[in-house]
Parts: sequence; structure tokens; C-alpha cells
Amino acid sequence: MNYLEAILKVLAVGLILGAGLPAIFAIGLVAFSKGSGGVANDGTTTAPNPALKFAGLLLFTLVAAVIVIAILYITKGTIQHHFGFNPVPFIPK
Amino acid sequence: MIILVLLIATALAFDFTNGFHDTGNAMATSIATNALKPKTAVILAGILNLVGAFLSVEVAITVTTSVLKIQDGKTGSLLAGIDPSTGLTIIFSGLIGGILWNLLTWLFGIPSSSSHALFGGLIGAGLAALGLAGVNWSGVFGKVILPALAAPFIAGLVAACGTWMVYRLTRNVAKKRREDGFRWGQIATASLVALSHGTNDAQKTMGVIALALITTGHLTGNVKEDGLPFWVIASCALAIGLGTYIGGWRVIRTLGKGLVEIESPQGLAAEASSAAIILSSSAAGMALSTTHVATGSILGSGVGKPGAQVRWAVAGRMAAAWLITLPAAALVGALSFWLSNVVKNASGSDLAGDGLIFVILVGLSGFMYWRAQQQKVDHNNVNADWDDTSNSVVPADERKSKVVDQPTASV
Repeated sequence: MNYLEAILKVLAVGLILGAGLPAIFAIGLVAFSKGSGGVANDGTTTAPNPALKFAGLLLFTLVAAVIVIAILYITKGTIQHHFGFNPVPFIPK
Repeated sequence: MIILVLLIATALAFDFTNGFHDTGNAMATSIATNALKPKTAVILAGILNLVGAFLSVEVAITVTTSVLKIQDGKTGSLLAGIDPSTGLTIIFSGLIGGILWNLLTWLFGIPSSSSHALFGGLIGAGLAALGLAGVNWSGVFGKVILPALAAPFIAGLVAACGTWMVYRLTRNVAKKRREDGFRWGQIATASLVALSHGTNDAQKTMGVIALALITTGHLTGNVKEDGLPFWVIASCALAIGLGTYIGGWRVIRTLGKGLVEIESPQGLAAEASSAAIILSSSAAGMALSTTHVATGSILGSGVGKPGAQVRWAVAGRMAAAWLITLPAAALVGALSFWLSNVVKNASGSDLAGDGLIFVILVGLSGFMYWRAQQQKVDHNNVNADWDDTSNSVVPADERKSKVVDQPTASV
């Protein structure tokens, strides 16, 4: 059962980060694209919308931040070993 | 001492083959969608592998403790009945099994698992030397076999979900803008996979070198507490980085062109899935096969995109290679050990036995390299159209031109 649990855990993390982040990125792209205005697939033209564009950029930043934190989390052991501090104190062990 | 040096050189050679065998895992999709130029892609992947290798040692610890029962798990001293000479020959033979299998699958352009080749070789040599008791079966089952079976399916599922959502969400975005946006995302995720490859695969060779150093008493068994010597980490990082830079174009071609025709949104979803799974398993110390994950993800991205075609014949051939990787490398590992042992007993010299299998390794590797040069796949033709009639990794043009060159025997 121990093994099954480990596999389910990896699946859960995989779905949240591996499929969830691309989805957020895609939403960001939709917002950014709509915010930039221009001609859509169906030929209609829309005016630029700075607020939507900003929301898109915000979502991109969110994705980038999650990635950086995840990498720091992986390196936690090595950073602690060589430099003696925990880079991600806000994540429980 | 000479044997230890030979062994470390062989381990680094394995790391090198590991690098070029697996470049495709990270970069195949970016190369196939032209998000990155082939040369740029391999340089980027090489550097990131180098960096990744320094980030974590969890997997190296798994390799020193979970595969072979050479050292005592608690004290780190050698188990009774194993002398350093036998221990070294076991590791040496294991590496030979791993390298030869890696080169053979590369020749056919099959993205097989370098990790399984290595573990297979070690298990085979361990079995030949120590019998059933020499292998840590529960460790092998829990940390190698089981992840191997589960990983491609998990990765495929995650990538299929990701691909489906990404296409669904962006269906109204102008095509040009969508391609551009995802191309950037794809480069970022591919880089992540290259980084994670360093955290997972470079560790395996470090683990093997550490195991050898423990066997000869140069290193205490407690890697977790004391860390690894810096030169071990640095040399492994360099070997895998160089190997990645050389680029296994054959494997890249199979992954990028052979399985599915990939667009950049699919590439992004596939790489994101691979990166998430490899990084989380690196953190857990699971010695996962990055190849299985990457291949599963790419297949999943084909399944998840409405109307995409997956070449199941190519996928089936790969799956077959996966199944036999561990036993085949084990067989080579065991044969190497026996050969070395026989020569050792006959000549009375350790060096004669280990030297002989080293010479055989160099000879066979040279032969396979020569065969690959005959029908070359490199950065120039890596994206040539896939030959659906033969499903061969060598592009149709390359094969034809070589047939004309060779004089027939019946003249």
C-alpha cells in the first residue's frame, strides 16, 4: 500500500504542477492575447485592453514564481548543507 | 588503484552516454517544432544538465544503498564475504553492461532507459558474483521496477490532460500568437526538463562512483551525512553536460518526429508533465527513468490533442526495448563479471581480468560508433520527414545515398 500511496502522490503532484501550470499559462496567454487586441480567428477586430494584458502578465509571473519555488524546494538539502539556511522556510517539511 | 581509476573513467563514460542518449528527453519536442535550433537546443540542455547535477544528491544516495548489498546499511562497512577486488569487478561489469546497451539502443534510435541499463548491469553482475543474496530486492522493486512500470502511464495521463486543456483554453486565440506564446513556454519547460535530468541522471553515476569509493574504503558509507566529494559531483556534472551537448540525434529524431507530429502547445504540455514528475521523484529519491517519463508524456500529448496521429508501431517497438533493457544489460553485466573472474583466477592478477573486459568494452563501443557513422543522423537531418514505410530512424534519403555508394558483391 505504501507503494500505491507514493504513486498516487506523484500523480497528484504531476496533475497539479504538470497539467495545472500549463493551463494557467494558457489562460494567461488568452488574457494577454485578448488584451493586445487585433484580429481574432473569426475575423473580428477588438481594441486593446491594458487591464486584461496586465492580468495575462500577472499569470505568467505566477507560473514563473511557482517554478522557482519548486526548484528551490528540490535544492533545499544541498543549499542547507553548503550554506546553512533553508531557502523555502514557508513550506512545511 | 589502477582498477579504481579505470572504473571511475568507465563510470564517467557511462555518464557521457547517459547524457547523449537522453538529450532528446528534454529537447526533442523543441527541436521538432523549431522553437529552438538543433545546435542551440543541445548547448542549452548541456549547460542545464551541468547545473542540475549540482542541485541534489538524493538519487545518488538511493543508488549506493538500494540496488546492491555490498555495504552494511548502518555502518557503511563492507559486508562479510566481499573483498574490495570483487566489489570493484561487480561495479565495473555493471557499468559495461550499461554502456553497451546504451550504445546499441542509440544505434537503432530507441529511447530506452539509461537508468535501467545501469541498474540492470549492476544487478546482473551482482547476481553473478554473490547470487540472489547480493541484490537488494525490496529496494530494486520499490525504487526501480515499480516506478518504471508506473511512470510512463502517469506521465502520459498528465500530459494528455495538459494538452487537452491547453488546446481547449486557447482555441480562440489567433494561430500566430498562440504558436509564438507556446514556443516561449516550450523553451522554458524544456529547460526545466534538462535541469531535472541533471538532478536525476547525473546522480546515478555519482552514486556508482561513491559505491566504488566506499568499496575501496576511500569514502565512508554515510553519504547522506557527509555529502559527496566535490570532484565526484563536478566530474559527473561535466561528463553528462558534454554528453548532452554531443546530442544523440538518433534518439532525438525518434522522439520528436517518430512518435507524434508535435506542435508547440503539445510540446509545452509534454515537457511540463515530464519536468513536474522527474523533479518530484528526484526530491523523493526515486531513481526514475527520465526516458520513460519523457516518452510517456510525448505519447500523452498525442493522445490528448483531438485528431492527432500517434505511430503506435514505433511506440510498440520502444515498449519492447524497455522490457528487455534491464535483463539484457543484466546479462552483459553477468557475462563481463564471469569473464573477468575466470581470467583473474587463471592469471592470478586482478588487473588482467578487469583490463580484458575494459578492452572488450572499448572495442565494441568503437564498432557501434563506426556503424552509426555509416548512416549518419545529425543536426542537419534530424527533422527530415519520418519514413513511414520502414519506421527506421535513418531518413530515407540518407539510406538511399549510401546504398548507391556501396559496390554490390555480385559484379
